[in-house]
Parts: sequence; structure tokens; C-alpha cells
Amino acid sequence: MVSKQDRELLRDNIRSRGTRLSATDRENIVKQYLPDPSELARWPPQRRKKVPRRTPIRTFIKSQIHLIAYTFLHIFFGIAVRLVQSFHAVVDRILAIIYYHHRTPELIRKDVKGLDRLPEHLSVILSLRKEDDALPILMDEVAELVSWTASAGIPVLSVYEKSGALKSCIPILHQVITNKLSSYFGSSQQPTLQLFAPHHPIYENRQDGGAPHDTLVVLLLSATDGQETFVDLTKTLAEMSQNGKLSPEDITMELIDAEISEITTRPSQEATPASGRGRLDSPQPFLSVKPEPDLLLVFGPFLKLDGYPPWHIRLTEMYCTGVSIDGGTGYGDTVEYQGFLRGLWHFAGAHMRFGR
Amino acid sequence: MATSMHLSRLRNWFLASPPIEFAISKLRDLLVGAIKQGPVPQHIAFIMDGNRRFARTHRIETVEGHNLGFEALARILEVCYRSGVQVVTIYAFSIENFKRSKFEVDALMEMARVKLSQMAQHGEILDRYGAKVRILGRLDLLRPDVLAAVNRATEMTQNNGDRVLNICFPYTSRDEISGAIRDTVSEYSKPLRSSRSSSSLPRTPFSEDHITQTIRSRTTNGKLEDSSMEFDSLSESSTLGEDDTQKPSHPNIVYQSETALSSAATLHLPDQTKGRKAEFTPEAEPPVFKSPETITRQTLTDHLLTRENPPLDLLIRTSGVERLSDFMLWQCHENTEIAFLDILWPEFDLWQFLPVLLRWQRRVSNAKKDPDAEGNFDGEFQESAEDSQEELVVSSAGKAKSL
Repeated sequence: MVSKQDRELLRDNIRSRGTRLSATDRENIVKQYLPDPSELARWPPQRRKKVPRRTPIRTFIKSQIHLIAYTFLHIFFGIAVRLVQSFHAVVDRILAIIYYHHRTPELIRKDVKGLDRLPEHLSVILSLRKEDDALPILMDEVAELVSWTASAGIPVLSVYEKSGALKSCIPILHQVITNKLSSYFGSSQQPTLQLFAPHHPIYENRQDGGAPHDTLVVLLLSATDGQETFVDLTKTLAEMSQNGKLSPEDITMELIDAEISEITTRPSQEATPASGRGRLDSPQPFLSVKPEPDLLLVFGPFLKLDGYPPWHIRLTEMYCTGVSIDGGTGYGDTVEYQGFLRGLWHFAGAHMRFGR
Repeated sequence: MATSMHLSRLRNWFLASPPIEFAISKLRDLLVGAIKQGPVPQHIAFIMDGNRRFARTHRIETVEGHNLGFEALARILEVCYRSGVQVVTIYAFSIENFKRSKFEVDALMEMARVKLSQMAQHGEILDRYGAKVRILGRLDLLRPDVLAAVNRATEMTQNNGDRVLNICFPYTSRDEISGAIRDTVSEYSKPLRSSRSSSSLPRTPFSEDHITQTIRSRTTNGKLEDSSMEFDSLSESSTLGEDDTQKPSHPNIVYQSETALSSAATLHLPDQTKGRKAEFTPEAEPPVFKSPETITRQTLTDHLLTRENPPLDLLIRTSGVERLSDFMLWQCHENTEIAFLDILWPEFDLWQFLPVLLRWQRRVSNAKKDPDAEGNFDGEFQESAEDSQEELVVSSAGKAKSL
């Protein structure tokens, strides 16, 4: 650490745009703080041999002290982490009791009413567990999330799951979500659900008659929509360039943005909904989907993107619920209503500033 | 108000007194030395946010806030390099920042120029400690005098050792990714010398030409949907139908000679026979390209600005804003731990950095002990060198206890 006196000297120098002190002056000030070069491991071996280790005992004792310090640091840190974790667990339980949705959209709407702003596009990262019945659990979690999102009035929800297991069972998932929605909203008030994944046809439940309800768009993402998409785009572009259809200078950020957004926001055209009632409008109603999520909720112990598509998250607020998967609480759920709610609160309290 | 001012002055005086200063610096040394004993992240990125807000709350000029931010950077860099971090990447200036007031942009540019040229004067010290400075970003947007300082600093340090400081100067991640794609495409659209040379290329199990040709014929039908067919089939079984019809033909043509290949291609695509045959006549040699199908994620990663660096382990953003702001989107997308700290950058020091590092160490060593535990990073982040180091630590820790 630089002593205060020297710090002031250097600061004065900066204020005068580096004119007050010469290079050698600065070196003299700084020199006493630099570590001894012989301690550094990066010396080439032949040169290190020339300098014999002067103080083997002192070095040994020093390293032992550091080891002990490391051990103690981690012991104390571990205790602190446990304390904080249990505190959070208690707070979580209390919140979970105070705020419970009771499968009533009105209650959820009341919980989010006081918030200054809501995300237009909410994104969640879920993880598939290792148990046998992991997929049904995951689908149930997605269905719950869809219901909360619909109740809170957020129009777009994207669900990221790394392995893409959800994409392989869209029809079943659609059924699960519809059932869940009807348990929340009743059969008549249900919002229109549009479920799709990139390169997959869209699934829609549209009531045959009656007034049009709110529309909820659910987008399923997986790791293949992340960097792999860029690889595919590059392949296509390279091919076009090889055939002389495009020169590399034409590749701009705007072009890539347009292409990537296209893939993640619009379902493929040859959609053939399997459900009997489903049908497809010829003008796509998806032009309003915002490709950049406003809020990214990570249901997990710490914030890790885990292969989430990189392009659209540059201005996304991230929030990690901090709930450990299969934590010691005995409640198996990681996706809980209070976590969802806390994310929304957090988002409402955060400020948006462009250009940092 | 007055009492708190007095108190803070008293505190500052106390902290600046020589014995306390000495004790604190010893404590820092001890902590840094302790951190060094465990696994240490190899690549850390910082978003240095909060200089302006710090200046505003402390009623000093914005430029002064940036200067204090630079001091904080120096402190943190010291901690990082001494504890064994290889690469530090900092977000100094975004392309978006050009939108700020001209006064501030100019001041920042001036600061960068002064710092870089001052640094260049200390060539000997830099050489001794082996830090390599690299500037990532759109250098063409810089003023000529700043650019000269940048070039000088990079040139002077380019032969230095393993510690790297990446300064993202006018940088956005989208720009970087676009640049990587553009570079890849232009590399792949440079024709190889002739069709002969393609046979001297490292052999891939599938014949590149054939795949290219198949793809070409398919791209005429539809562009993006087809190219993405491959990974769709991984997750979705219903689209397998079309792929299945084509895939069995691939294993048959593995390692076939070129004439056999051309006949195989003829079978498959009768309409392109003439074009293919012309390619094999020695007089006319149309350009032969590297097949785009060899592009992988690694190819793109190798064209990024951070290509020489180890994967990003930790990303830290100060000032409580929980957003990446177009920084390291590609690099941090997988196994990077992202930490958002609710503190302004000029106040950031070892004391705030330590919990983040400890948490990282804790998680990494837990994941190593028990790969199935929560938050495991799939075990791919550990080098063998670090493993052996860890064993050493464990054994010597045991020794220390027995002592």
C-alpha cells in the first residue's frame, strides 16, 4: 500500500498532467512498493539459478504463515457464509409465507401493483435436475412461471434450459401449461398462450369465440441458440462470401443483429399446430416481441449464465435468487413465487442508464 | 454534519499514521499471500463503474473522480497480479461513451494518453515485472495522439511475460463479435491456392467438398433453416426425417479418392455434374475454399480480441448496476461467475474484493471435491498444474497442522 505522503505527491503530479515529476522521480517513489523481483516466479530458470535464495528459513516460515492464514480465512469465511445463508433462508421462508399466490391472479397482480415498472420481456434460467423425474418437475416449474408472468401482466417470457429438453416435448409442455393456467384463471379467463422455440412451429391455444384476452408469448431457449447460432450464421455468411454473393465488409453489427433477432423472435413459417383448436394467423403477431430481455432471473445459488444466448443480454438486468439447489431446507423447490417477486422488486428499484 | 467531518478527519489521520499504515500494509501482504495458496482465477474482468457518481456524491470534479478510479485500479491490479491472476481485463471506455459530454470524453482521452505515455517511460520496470499491456477495441475511433500512445505502450510491452492487462478502450462486445464473424468470413473466403493444395490439408473424416456441395444445393432452397437443421436434430426428434435420408450417405464416402468422390457427387446431384468435372481438369482451376463447415465455436473464439487469454473466470462490476453493458458477452456466457458489488469503483479495494475471491475459491474447491455438488463448473476449468498445486497445498497444510 502506498503511504499517504507519496500518494499526495503522485496525485499532484496527475493534476498537473504529469509535468511535475520526471520519470526517474516517479520510479524512486514507486520503487519501495514493488515486490522483490527475485520473489517472482516468472524469472527464466537460468537466471533464477544465479540468484541463490538468500533466506530459505524465512521464506518457509512465510509460506507457512500464508497457508495458516488461508486456512483460517476460509474457515471464518465459511462460517460467515453459512450464517448469511441461514439468515437468507429464514427471510425466504417468511417471505414465502407472507407472499403466496394461492393460485389467484388477483393476488399476484396486487403484489406487483406498487412497482414503478415491470419488465416487458422476462427471461429465466432454469436447470434440469439429475433425478429421474426431472423433466416433469421442470415442466411444472415452467408452467408455474408462465402463470405468474401472465398474472403479473408481463407479455413475454423466455425460458432458458441448457440441454434443450423442453424443446423436445413442446406439445406436452403446452398441455401442462394450459392446465396450470386454467387452474389459475379458470377456463374462461385464460390468456392466449403462444409457445414456441427457435426453428420450431408455434403452439397456440385460441378460444373459438369470445373476447380476445391478454396474449402471453413463451419462448424456449437452449444452449444451441447461443454460440451455436453464431457459428451457423458464420457458416452461412462464409458460404455466401465464397460464392461471391457478399463481401466481408458487408457484415455489420446491424446485419448480425437483424439475423440473430430474427431467429429468436419469430417462429418458423411452416407452422402446423397439432392441437385441434390451434390455428395460425397469416400476418405474424410476433413483430412486437422485444428480443432483448429486460430482466434475467437466475434460479440458482450464484450468477452464472450457463450458455445463455449472448447477443441480447447486453442491457439486461440480472438477478440471482441465491437459492441453492436441493439446499438443506428440505423444500425441494428452487423456483418459488417469492424469488420471482423479489426479482421484480429488484428490477423496479434499479435504474436504467444508457451509455453507463 | 460537522462532527462526522471531524470524525472522518480523525479517522483519516489515524489511518495515515505510520504505525497503522505499516500494519495495514502488512495485513494486506498477508491476505494476498493467503489467497495465493488456494486456486486463483486466471482471468478476471472488471467493469469500473461509479467514478462519476463518486465524484458527484463527494462534490469533486468528474475528472478527479476518474483519477481516483485509476488509483483504485492500480490497487486492484496489484492485488490481482500478486495473488497470481494471469489476465486482467478492464472496461475503460465503451463505444457508447462517445455520447457523453465532449469535455469528459476529452478528459478521459487525455488521461489515457498521459497514463500510457508515462507508462512507456518506465520501460525497464515494466520489463522486470513482465506485464503485457494490450488495448482491445476499435482503435480507429481514437484521436491520433492517443493512438500513438496506445501503439507505443503495446509495442513496448508485447514481448513481456505472462501477466496481461487488457484495456478495453473503445469497446463493445457486439462490435467484437461482429468483428470476429467478419474476420472469420474473410479468412474463409480467401481462396486456397488450387484444388491440389486442398488434398494436403489435414484430412477430416468427412470429405469437405462433398459436404460443401450438398450444403450448397440445399441452401438454394432455403438458407437459414437448413443450416440450423443439424443442431435441431439433436434436440428435436420430429425434424429428423429429412436429415436421416442424407446422413447414411456420408459414411460411405469417407476417405474416398477424389474421382470416386466426384462420381458420388454425380449420383447425388446430377445437375451439377458439369461444374464438378471442370474442377478436376488441370487447366481451369476455380478457387477452392476452406469449407465453412469446419467453423466451430472455437473458430469464432479464436477470432475474438481476447483470443490469447484463458477463459474468463470472474467478472466484477461495481456500483450496484446489475447489467453487463455490452462487455464480454461472448466470453462470460458460460462458466464465468458474475459478481455485482454495491460499491463505487473509487472505493473498491482489497476489502471488498476479498469476499468475492474467497467465494470463488470456495466454490471451485467444493466443485473439485464433489463434482456433483451444486454450482459445479463441470470440472473443465482446472488445469493440471493447478491440481498439483492444490495437492501441494493440502499436503503442506497437513504438515503445518502437525507442526
